[in-house]
Amino acid sequence: MKAIYKKELRSYFTSFLGYLFIAFLLVFVGVFQYRYNLKAGFANFAYAIDGTATLFLFLVPMLTMRILAEEKRQRTDQLIYTSPVSVERVVLGKYLALVTVFAIAVAIICFYPPVLKRYGATNYKVAYTTLAAFFLLGCTYMAIGMFVSALTESQVFAAVVTFIVILFTLMIDMLVMMLPSGHVLALIVLIALALVISVITYVMMKSKIVTGLFAVVSIAGLSIAYAINPLSFDGSLAKVFGWLSVQSRFSLFRYGIVDISSYVYFVSMCVLFVFLTVQAIKKRRWEA
Amino acid sequence: MIKVEHLVKQYGEFRAVDDLSFTVEKGEILGFLGPNGAGKSTTMNMITGYNSATEGDVTINGFNVYDEPEKAKRCIGYLPEIPPVYPDMRVKEYLRFCTELKEIPKKQRAAEVDRVMELLHVTHMQNKLIKHLSKGYRQRVGLAQALVGNPEVLILDEPTVGLDPMQITWMRELIRSLGKEHTIILSSHILFEVNAVCDRVLIINHGKKIVIDTPDNIIRTLGGTSGVRIAVRASEEDFRAAVATLPNIARVEVLPENVGEGITTYGVYSSDGAELRDRLFALCAARGFVLYELNSIQKTLEDVFIEMTGKGDTV
Repeated sequence: MKAIYKKELRSYFTSFLGYLFIAFLLVFVGVFQYRYNLKAGFANFAYAIDGTATLFLFLVPMLTMRILAEEKRQRTDQLIYTSPVSVERVVLGKYLALVTVFAIAVAIICFYPPVLKRYGATNYKVAYTTLAAFFLLGCTYMAIGMFVSALTESQVFAAVVTFIVILFTLMIDMLVMMLPSGHVLALIVLIALALVISVITYVMMKSKIVTGLFAVVSIAGLSIAYAINPLSFDGSLAKVFGWLSVQSRFSLFRYGIVDISSYVYFVSMCVLFVFLTVQAIKKRRWEA
Repeated sequence: MIKVEHLVKQYGEFRAVDDLSFTVEKGEILGFLGPNGAGKSTTMNMITGYNSATEGDVTINGFNVYDEPEKAKRCIGYLPEIPPVYPDMRVKEYLRFCTELKEIPKKQRAAEVDRVMELLHVTHMQNKLIKHLSKGYRQRVGLAQALVGNPEVLILDEPTVGLDPMQITWMRELIRSLGKEHTIILSSHILFEVNAVCDRVLIINHGKKIVIDTPDNIIRTLGGTSGVRIAVRASEEDFRAAVATLPNIARVEVLPENVGEGITTYGVYSSDGAELRDRLFALCAARGFVLYELNSIQKTLEDVFIEMTGKGDTV
């Protein structure tokens, strides 16, 4: 694991990618800090971080797109997966290298609030809890980006899909508002969703039995639940999509609300996607 | 040392490897032969634990590749078809990474890197970026990687592909000398190479084992009828009539070789594998045919290979 971690980390700093990522992040935090804290005169440093979080859209794919896709394309995965290092340790090593690059940037940002404090009433608690959430949010997106990279040989594909996924999480709150709240439509959308998930499972697992079983059980379950109490479907779409809303859990922090459950949510998402990455690689080795 | 039992790889409907079993003893070089797409690389990927098998087992040094992957993989050095090198790394840096990846103790790493670089003659290239190396040098770095940690088993997938003739000879020498201490599986579709380097040969086609034996035995047992090439000053009529008096002659054919005016070259094949040369000599002497050339037709591994893999295709 250490070998992979060291190699990854070195590759970020021998190519300009790592520097570019850190530089971009710092420049944008600087720009937003200038805009909100210095120009507009808000003492809340969280605003600056909040604005920067949107830029994960570009920054995360830049860093994660090649992480596993490139190994496959240049066939170096044959070296890694035939060495006495387990897939779990390989993935963890790579993920920790990503997190380290990001952590370096965040560590530098940690010096901003004290600077700001000299000129105004900056609340450290709000600043640093937001920064912690910002860090975990970034780690979540990176885990997602790494997972996408594990699915393909093409860096471009990995970058585009990661971009779309992050864009989706940014827009989801807006999309949820546009969703119908009526129970009939909710049922239809949920069934459609179940079918979409079935198709994805089929593509992933190539098993007609599992796919069929999942589709039948989920659609039957939804129909029965609807038959028993149709009103329970009111607003259910918002709830379901709300689980996916990574960004909304982050935006609470700027108001000084320290929501521990959000931290837990982010960490669980990281663990989930690291786990999924390991599974994706194992599955690929089973098929290929 | 290497034990492969009932190995199967299934891709949907297609069986890339079909019930393959064989063993390789310690210190043996096994040549793995088959036409393109026969399942050589697939089998090697399964032996090294890169891919999983649909069915069957691989045991390296007593460790099952799927049950105890870390222990088994520690015994294997693998050079895949495309050398698994990072273009943006320097040669030394890359090999250093390999020593770390293969968990060589920290103190021995520098010496190990030097050792493999020396062995593969890449020491003078150590500070070059791998992407600036020629195909031949990349192949060498790839093999150096496989030798890191001096694993007992080496799996080499077409190690001489893309090398120039000088490098090929050198590479073969190296593999032969490595064979003294290592157990090696070497895949190739160049028959001469396998014949020159390997102790035993495994021929596969369409994922199925066709034969495993020493090159000589394969040629002998599967070579079919034995034949003699003879050049005499005699008309075809006279010669055929004379040969017809000999027992157990399978066939006589005229070979398209021009030895001289009035001289014809024939291929004569016996049906029982008996030595024909003394009989033919006596025959020519008795009939007064002037004999210009007489030698037995050596079947090469190449003939056997074409014969056997060709048969597989028509089925």
